[in-house]
Amino acid sequence: MSERYVDTRRFLAPAETLTGKVQRVGMVILAVIMLSAICAPLLTSYAPRDSVCRPFATPTAAHLLGCNDAGQDLFSQLLYGARISLAVGLSVAVLSTLLATIIAVVAGFNGGLIDRLIMRLVDIILCLPFMPLVIVLGVFFGASIRTQVLVIAFVMWAPSVRELRAQILQIRSSAFVEASLAMGASGYFVGIRHLVPELAPLIVPQFVRIAHNAILVETSLSFLGLGDPLQNSWGSILFHANARTAFLTGAWVYWVMPPGLAVSLTVLSLALIGFGYDASLAPRIRRRLARPIERPAGAAPRPGAVLSVQKLHVSWDSEFGRHEVVHGVDLDLRRGELLGLVGESGSGKTTLSMAILRLLRPSASVTRGAIWLNGEDLLRASDATMRRLRGRRIALIPQSAMNALNPVLTIGAQLGEALDQGGRRPPEAREAAIVENLLSVGLEARHALSFPHELSGGMRQRAVIAIALCNRPEVVIADEPTTGLDVLVQEDIMALLLDLRRRLDLSILFVTHNLPLIARHADRLAVMCGGTIVEEGAPDALRRAPRHTHTRALFESLPALVGDRRWQAHADTSGPAEAPLIELRNVSKTFRRRSLGAADAGEHQALNDVSLTLAPGEKLGLVGGSGAGKSTIARLCMGVLPPDEGTVFCQGKDIASLGMRRRQIMSEAIHLVFQDPYQSLRNGMSVRDIVAEPLRIRGERDPAVIHAKVRAALAAAKLPHDGAFISRLPIALSGGQRQRVAFARAVVVRPKLIIADEPTSMLDQSVRMEIMDLMESLARENATAFLLITHDIALARHFCDRLAVLRQGRIVEEGLADTIVQTPQNAYTRALIAAA
Amino acid sequence: MYYLRTALQYTVTLLVVLTANFLLPRLAPGNPINALLGSDVVENMTKDQIERIMEEFDLHLPLWQQYVHYLTSFIHGDLGNSIVLGMPVSQVLMQRLPWTLLLMGGALLFSTVVGSLLGAYSAWRRGRAADLATISGVLFVGSLPPFWLAMMLIILFSTTLQWLPSYGAYPIGTPSGSWAWYVGVAKRLVMPTLALGLVMAANVLLIARSATMMALDQDYVTFARAKGLSEQRIFFRHAFRNALLPLVTNVMMSIGSLVGGALVIETVFSYPGLGSLIVMAVNARDYNLLQGIFILVSLSVILANLAADLMYPLVDPRTAEGDPA
Repeated sequence: MSERYVDTRRFLAPAETLTGKVQRVGMVILAVIMLSAICAPLLTSYAPRDSVCRPFATPTAAHLLGCNDAGQDLFSQLLYGARISLAVGLSVAVLSTLLATIIAVVAGFNGGLIDRLIMRLVDIILCLPFMPLVIVLGVFFGASIRTQVLVIAFVMWAPSVRELRAQILQIRSSAFVEASLAMGASGYFVGIRHLVPELAPLIVPQFVRIAHNAILVETSLSFLGLGDPLQNSWGSILFHANARTAFLTGAWVYWVMPPGLAVSLTVLSLALIGFGYDASLAPRIRRRLARPIERPAGAAPRPGAVLSVQKLHVSWDSEFGRHEVVHGVDLDLRRGELLGLVGESGSGKTTLSMAILRLLRPSASVTRGAIWLNGEDLLRASDATMRRLRGRRIALIPQSAMNALNPVLTIGAQLGEALDQGGRRPPEAREAAIVENLLSVGLEARHALSFPHELSGGMRQRAVIAIALCNRPEVVIADEPTTGLDVLVQEDIMALLLDLRRRLDLSILFVTHNLPLIARHADRLAVMCGGTIVEEGAPDALRRAPRHTHTRALFESLPALVGDRRWQAHADTSGPAEAPLIELRNVSKTFRRRSLGAADAGEHQALNDVSLTLAPGEKLGLVGGSGAGKSTIARLCMGVLPPDEGTVFCQGKDIASLGMRRRQIMSEAIHLVFQDPYQSLRNGMSVRDIVAEPLRIRGERDPAVIHAKVRAALAAAKLPHDGAFISRLPIALSGGQRQRVAFARAVVVRPKLIIADEPTSMLDQSVRMEIMDLMESLARENATAFLLITHDIALARHFCDRLAVLRQGRIVEEGLADTIVQTPQNAYTRALIAAA
Repeated sequence: MYYLRTALQYTVTLLVVLTANFLLPRLAPGNPINALLGSDVVENMTKDQIERIMEEFDLHLPLWQQYVHYLTSFIHGDLGNSIVLGMPVSQVLMQRLPWTLLLMGGALLFSTVVGSLLGAYSAWRRGRAADLATISGVLFVGSLPPFWLAMMLIILFSTTLQWLPSYGAYPIGTPSGSWAWYVGVAKRLVMPTLALGLVMAANVLLIARSATMMALDQDYVTFARAKGLSEQRIFFRHAFRNALLPLVTNVMMSIGSLVGGALVIETVFSYPGLGSLIVMAVNARDYNLLQGIFILVSLSVILANLAADLMYPLVDPRTAEGDPA
């Protein structure tokens, strides 16, 4: 959800960064070497193979590096040798990169059997001993420079294929390619418009790496005397020097040193250029020396507060300077209290909670303020003291339990090592304590032996809670402990925390962006915005009388289950049925999970006998938890997926009868808007090109027509449409603006139906309603039908005419939105409503 | 399932290597016998002699029969006779292999220990002076051609300081197996190991550094800190151990390039391993010997990769059931 964008796909890093400087130094060195190779005849008057002086002559003004055993000038040999090394290195790099790119594109884009065959071949080639292979091939096919280049190029492409293919697969599965395909684009269109521009910068580092290796290999071959005997390269100078054991005499200074240094320098220059592409070398943010934290005047522990944060300032340091993200926060957590800290992404709430535990990443640091934990000054405590406090008096329940557990250790081992911090126990007592802690969070004793990947998301979160609380801390900081879990599982975890809080007498600071969840349970809420706490108070008081505009915006953006609808229903669903726009008749769909052997690793029935109709102009909501089959329905309606059983009708026609052009025909009438506007818009395209894409897919080429339609669509999406805006890149847009651009791209071809797949779930609370308002205005003004896919039944109830509740591939309840919410018939629907 | 698939894949790899080795002289331009003996030799031979040699190499048979012959004799360990040395290739290889293995083993041990420890240390001190110095050193050492580094070592340790002998693998004239002999072998191992190991250590270091850094960045390390664990325990139990996983495969995978390095290094020190043998085979156009070396080296590299793949599930429980990728 971050608004920050790190552009990794560029040829060179910016000149002001360390990486950029290093890359430029490499390019200068390489340029100097290339120039002296090209200008060799100007720099020396001797040909490299002419005998021009006494054998073994020592350096003189005429012969700067002296002469070899055959009386040939070594300086001239060095300069001309550069030509061979560079020529071999660069031509191998060109050939090999080209070969690798073609093979990677074929493998990555075709997938399936071709892909698997190619990748097995790559595995085999990677397994071969490289140097002996080059030697053997060179022997059988001759040692000329041309065969040498071919042979080295032939054995060097494999690692690059692996790398590039992975990138292609990533591009291919990216949301913007999926969006393009859903708009009816052909494979060719996607290749030219998206794949090539995205892939081009990734080829450069491969080129650099291959050139680097090729120069070393050529030098080694020539050194072994296996190079082209007619050519004079750096390696062959060393071969002769070695044969004459020049390094046992003083001659090494001018005979052995210079060519070796020349090779090293060339290779080093390539390594420096490659520096920016290699994540393993990327310089990390430099640490500043620890400075004492300034304590604000009058800071002292407050009675009644187990945790007290006073005038806390936190800054991030980057290569571009320092940036303060928390500006003087005051916050007290009272004994036994559940305090909710709410705010949107980037508000500083997670930074604040990590600062309390002194677990900020190295680039962030507290610059001012004080933190007291029951009279203990956390910011002045020694590292050892802090370690003793963590887990025993103040604990963390972190975000995303999958990543918080070490994948190679069992749950029991990870719980055990936390228990040990509270004091050593005899083995039996330790075992018993592990089991007891697992039971207390609703897990079973056998889970001690499980690895994290063997548990479900909810169970992992329980394990994390057990670990965090095993030493009975007084204060718990729960950082988004329910984010990423299914709606109903979130409720379970919340209930568990409330229960543990009562049993263990915990004081909890609950950090979340999920306002409805925390507002139901917290004693008090603190609203954070832009690095400060703008308001504190009881949830009900804040809801009724918010003093700060941000608090008001947050609460107003919450759709309620009771009260008036925010948007009126307008399709008259009770009247005589119009011919449906889309109809699913008894549709089933099963996905087979493949493992690498051909055997089926399991089946997953995504849809089971689903029937659904959508009338023109109707707003239908498809509601359910994760894995319910909502997105599968969207893809069936788009014609991206064919059903296994049953029929999908689009405007009365069976889509199976449309044949190969199914996707193109259906995309004329239907447009899909994706969940995540950070993924579905390609970062390298301007707003204009993004919005114009559906027109281009339909073959529109007239710039005037495109321009007029794009501007009209942007106006409909309530976006600016001046020249400055339409030439912007998505990086320069906020999340809400990006989603508006996605809707502009939808309306530019005036579809009859827009399928919106969780269109607001990646956006901050305050902009969600704006996007829904936009959808409503599009529905009303153009009579566009909407299929809203969401897990949020409250939101769907306000927007939709009708709802269909989906659970594990079946529709469990269907009807008018208000009827379903007010009188739910199904237990699952009731659970969803309770969780909303 | 995982083991079966791995075994199958390596069988295929081995077959590909064997087939390539079989086809190469037959695909090379001109009559295979020219490729096998060299055209200048063939020109001076009588028809009879040529036919006799054709028969000796099975070249009069149809291709598929030649292939079957080739495979069966490989299974029996028969790689033909070396022309220069006048003895079975398998016997020559067995004499030379131990020295190359000793050299590679030394270099592997040196580079893995030094590389992974320094890499992990560098990651721990990331962004500080020690880390930046290490990275600069790695960039520099990684750019040196190993054989040139070897020559520089000789200049330093043999010519200038006269500490270490620069020639061969064992002292000549000392009874083998005696104490002095072992000391001589060890002394002669130092420089080749360093020359080969330093460049490889630079690679290992980078992998170890980035893997450790990645592990240190994981949420489970933050959570381990929040549990109150000591930095040492976090580093060794949570970060370094997880960083070793990619290291194991990477080190095993790099054995292929290590062999190449060893071949070149041996030439500098006249080390009696496979490297000097391959150069001799090429210069003497002894193709049986050349192909024998290629097969042996490929086989060892394949076995090393197989070992890495089989070891992986033991260190990472996630691979045992699913796809390792």
